[in-house]
Amino acid sequence: MSAPSIRVERRLAASAERVFDAWLEPVWIGRFMFGPHLRDEQVVSLENEPRVGGVFHYRVTRGGTEIDHTGTYRVIDRPRRLVFTWGVDQEQGDRSVVTIAIAPDGDGCVLTLTHAMHPDWAEYAERTQAGWTKIVGDLAVALA
Amino acid sequence: MQTAALDATMLALSDPTRRAILNRLTSGEARVTEIAAPFAMSLNAVSKHIQMLERAELVRRRKSGREHFLSLNPKPLDEAAEWIEQQRTFWNSSLDALERALAEHKD
Repeated sequence: MSAPSIRVERRLAASAERVFDAWLEPVWIGRFMFGPHLRDEQVVSLENEPRVGGVFHYRVTRGGTEIDHTGTYRVIDRPRRLVFTWGVDQEQGDRSVVTIAIAPDGDGCVLTLTHAMHPDWAEYAERTQAGWTKIVGDLAVALA
Repeated sequence: MQTAALDATMLALSDPTRRAILNRLTSGEARVTEIAAPFAMSLNAVSKHIQMLERAELVRRRKSGREHFLSLNPKPLDEAAEWIEQQRTFWNSSLDALERALAEHKD
C-alpha cells in the first residue's frame, strides 16, 4: 500500500548531531532553507520554539508578498528523528507533516526527509519508498 | 491548487481499488458494470469507490438512457503532480544548501 508523500534522501559529510541541530537553529535555517542564496526571496524573520508542541514561523517575502511557513514540532528525538507539521500561511495550516530521519553512516550521516500531505498518512509515508510520486507519475504518463 | 481539492485527490488515490479503476479508465470510457466486473466485491462496494473518485473530480459520469458511462479527468492528477514537484524542489534545494553550509561552517 503506497501513501501520498515526498521522499528525499541525502548523505551528508557531518555528524548526525550537527545535521539534526541545523534543523532547529534559526541561524542554520537561514543558511539552508530560506534566503536570496536559495531563491528569489528576502528573509523577514526566522523564529522557532524548539520543543514538542512548540511553533515555528519562517517568514519571507517573494515578489512583494509575505509568506509565513509555519508548523508545530511533534517529535524532537536528537539526533535521529524530527517530526513537524508544515504549512504555508493559513492555507495549509497543520495539515502536512515533515519527518526527518538521520542515521549515522561512517564519518557522516544519511538524512531521509518525507513530506506527507496529511498527518494521517505520515506513518505510512515513512514506510514507503517511492510510492506517491510514482503513482501520480505513472497515471500522468498513462494519460498522456 | 486548493488544499481541500489536493486532499481529495490524494485520498482518492490512496486506495488500490480506486487506482485500479483509474488505470482501467486510462484506456477510455467504460460502463460502471464493466468497471466493477474484475473486482471481487459487490457492485455497491465498487460504486462507493467510484463516488469517491467523482468527489475528487478524477472521474466523470455520463448517463445515456439507463447506462452510466465513466471517464477520467486528468486535471487533478496534473495539479497533484505539480504540488509534489514544488515540494520536492524546495526540499532538494534545501538539502543542497545544507550540504554547502555544513562544509563552510565547521563550528
